[in-house]
Amino acid sequence: MTTHNAQASVLNENKLDGNRMSTSKRSKGIDYWLPKLVLSPTVAITIVFIYGFILWTTILSFTKSRILPQYEFVGFEQYVKLFLNDRWMGALANLAIFGILFIGICMVVGLVFAILLDQNIRAEGALRTIYLYPMALSFIVTGTVWKWIMNPTVGIEKFMHDIGFSGFSFDWIVDPDMAIYTVVIAGIWQSSGFVMAIFLAGLRGIDTSIIKAAQLDGASLFAVYTRVIIPSMRPVFFSAFIMLAHIAIKSFDLIMALTGGGPGNATDVPAIFMYQFSFTRGQLGIGASSAVIMLMGVTAILIPYLYSELRGEKQ
Amino acid sequence: MSGLSIQNVKKSFGQTHILKGIDLEIPDGEFVILVGPSGCGKSTLLNCIAGLEEVTEGRILMGDIDMTYAAPKDRDIAMVFQSYALYPNMNVRKNIAFGLEIRKMPKQEIEEIVDRVAKLLQIENLLDRKPSQLSGGQRQRVAMGRSLARQPSVFLFDEPLSNLDAKLRVEMRTEIKKLHQRLGTTIVYVTHDQIEAMTLADRIAIMRGGEVQQFGTPQEVYDEPANIFVAGFMGSPSMNFLRVEVGGADGQYHVLVASEGHTYKLPSPPTQADLSAYVGKQVILGIRPEQLTHVMPHLESGPFVTKVAVKVEVTEPTGADTLVLTRINDEECECRVHPAEAGKPGEMMDILFNMEKAVFFDSETEARI
Amino acid sequence: MSQTKVNDARYKAITGRAILYAVLVIVALYYLAPLFLMIVTSFRSMEEIRVGQLIEWPKTFTFDAWAAAWNQVQIGAREDLGLKPYFMNSIRMVIPSVLLSTAFGALNGYVLSFWKFRGSELFFAFLLAGCFLPFQAILLPHSIVLGKMGISGSTLGLVFTHVVYGVAFTTLFFRNYYVNLPGELIKAAKLDGAGFWMIFYRIILPLSTPILVVSIIWQFTQIWNDFLFGVVFSDPNSQPVTVGLNNMVNSTTGEKRYNVDMAGAIIAALPTVLVYVVAGKYFVRGLTAGSVKG
Repeated sequence: MTTHNAQASVLNENKLDGNRMSTSKRSKGIDYWLPKLVLSPTVAITIVFIYGFILWTTILSFTKSRILPQYEFVGFEQYVKLFLNDRWMGALANLAIFGILFIGICMVVGLVFAILLDQNIRAEGALRTIYLYPMALSFIVTGTVWKWIMNPTVGIEKFMHDIGFSGFSFDWIVDPDMAIYTVVIAGIWQSSGFVMAIFLAGLRGIDTSIIKAAQLDGASLFAVYTRVIIPSMRPVFFSAFIMLAHIAIKSFDLIMALTGGGPGNATDVPAIFMYQFSFTRGQLGIGASSAVIMLMGVTAILIPYLYSELRGEKQ
Repeated sequence: MSGLSIQNVKKSFGQTHILKGIDLEIPDGEFVILVGPSGCGKSTLLNCIAGLEEVTEGRILMGDIDMTYAAPKDRDIAMVFQSYALYPNMNVRKNIAFGLEIRKMPKQEIEEIVDRVAKLLQIENLLDRKPSQLSGGQRQRVAMGRSLARQPSVFLFDEPLSNLDAKLRVEMRTEIKKLHQRLGTTIVYVTHDQIEAMTLADRIAIMRGGEVQQFGTPQEVYDEPANIFVAGFMGSPSMNFLRVEVGGADGQYHVLVASEGHTYKLPSPPTQADLSAYVGKQVILGIRPEQLTHVMPHLESGPFVTKVAVKVEVTEPTGADTLVLTRINDEECECRVHPAEAGKPGEMMDILFNMEKAVFFDSETEARI
Repeated sequence: MSQTKVNDARYKAITGRAILYAVLVIVALYYLAPLFLMIVTSFRSMEEIRVGQLIEWPKTFTFDAWAAAWNQVQIGAREDLGLKPYFMNSIRMVIPSVLLSTAFGALNGYVLSFWKFRGSELFFAFLLAGCFLPFQAILLPHSIVLGKMGISGSTLGLVFTHVVYGVAFTTLFFRNYYVNLPGELIKAAKLDGAGFWMIFYRIILPLSTPILVVSIIWQFTQIWNDFLFGVVFSDPNSQPVTVGLNNMVNSTTGEKRYNVDMAGAIIAALPTVLVYVVAGKYFVRGLTAGSVKG
């Protein structure tokens, strides 16, 4: 009985509370403001450190800043200089080669091995772990190792010579025409396992009744994959492409460690160009304009992605 | 304990109007069910009563206190959710005690209440289990226990039985009804299942498109539906609707139905509707399958009973009765007959049309005449 | 006839499986080879490498290269030798960065999932775009601001940087995890009388263990492996181990000591590889979280 009374009094208090609230019609409780307060540091960070800084970089790219930022505007002069700069054009060409090969081969390798691993493989867990571990490494470590392996005087070339294949040649890393392909090799080694993991997750996410239905329709295993499974994984392809394109455009560490942009400027890419012009050569204006171009590249790839993502969420 | 008064409650998201002015007066201790098809606004209304969603317009009173803008915790309301919403990280005891702990009730009292509730719902042996270790029915009981422990003045149930299998659903239905009879607390209960609504409610509010179509006792909404929507929604199998022409004069009216080339005059009982304004016009006759039976001698002589020969199209045995699908006035019409009397598909059989409980709807407004 | 046919099919299937496994194992060897070479080489002496082969089992196991890489080799012009000081810098940087960015992410995700308000969805979309930001676009202003704040070239500055640019990802993790929790849980807790913090501590946080692990591992890997922020925003006293390793490998003075390079690379990679081995499942989940919906 006492419990009843105690509770009743609690309830009464609550009722009074409710009454007080309703008199001041829409007075908001602490739970109304608290979520906004908690989110506010991140909102501030996003506004200032992401979007504000993008704006700032863009502004810098229209100034004649050199070693120190200054705000004398020169229009598109820095962009003109940038695109008249052979090193920049070379960096763009390298990025194109690297990007196309890196993305293309990673996708193919990733898809093929995801499908192979999807065949009820006994040691799937162990194999997956092995394929994926390079992703846990820093690009600097990857670069250091492959730099040594591909070094003609101590690496594979020497090894092949020593075991008798004296005609064997693998000196791409010191060949200005071929050096960019060594970056592709190391990049694929590091990232293809990751693509495989994405595809494998996509394969596992497919409704198995679709596959059963296709098999009952008499489709062969090959047809099931090419006609049913792969077409239904289009969103997975799309996101794998985005992730890889993003890695490619930002690629900096791997090349720094593997070739340092060399030999000469043979493996220069926009990220290295931007870093060197901004921080070692005192050409802030050009550095900023190259950063803006990189941002535009990422945005161009990202907008269709975000668009489809948001549209998908609405459906 | 207190009643609940919902006055002209509106809820909109931008241009989407979910609730378009709801008025419900619920006396203390009544068991009210909100029923309607999905998207009719019943769950939104429940959330507004709970304070989980703010109303755009209107007032919600508990007893005589305006609770329209009170926080959920200040409303003295407990709610049982469709997914039960048991806290997965807490065992059953903690789940039941959580609301009391937050209200800073002394430990001793919490224990007493938990024990009492557990005993009431026969979940004493489950108190130390986690929700993931419980069956659907057990979770349902714990969810009810959690709201019972708070001893609120209003219980809200949001489709609490829809995740249970058919047998358990019937069991829990009885359980909830018993509980209400025992506690006498006001209950507002949302469901889309009209059988649940019929069996449990003191009064039913049938909703469609953010409006209450009818608010009445189960028998009222069954026998005197306000419009075609309510008539069609309540009752399974659904009421038959036939377009018919009205004839007759001077308080003696009939409607005409045709079956297999014969036309029959079905007399309309004066108690059911005043058809004087509709003579020569079309109305919609609503007649439930149980009013269309095989020939039973004791009924045949009734004043509003007519024997009609129909052709059997499909038969659906339900065990106790067999439903016979036929065509009257070129529209599908279901009759409920004794299994042994049911004809075979393609055969003719005689059906008694008992018009005593027939209802008529205006064919334009769909409202009952 | 039919008997032989069946046998044929089975025989074919078995060969198919054998080829499949052979291919998978060969590819596994390709992925493992560099790691194997690193480890083996790090235990060989320089004389042995000079006269010997790229791939060769060490005749005598020696930890000399490890010792050299850890605290003997001269890197740049700094006084204390070896990778050790860089390694310590990385640890000092990574722990607060991971904890802070994860804490922010959890709270943000909680708000964005359960306490939505007008504009919160829009903000999330803007934050999401921040996940894909090429950092080059903010490097210049950020270095200016770090200078103005007086924390450029310090571990504190690096921590600040990693938190600021890591929050987008951690928020994404937690938000996507929380939106899959039943919303009725929060409603029930509100009716039970719990407020913002109470619901977080008593109900949401206890359910967050998997995503906490994912976020911590992801952030740890990202921040430990970072090179760009390390090389741009730190001075020799605060440079992380990735910068140290790169400096060590690319220092042009003296003979190239591949065994020391490899030992150094392993030292720099060890923490993240250990995390991967111990909690690979969560690592993969983090990797795929941003790319595969649901």
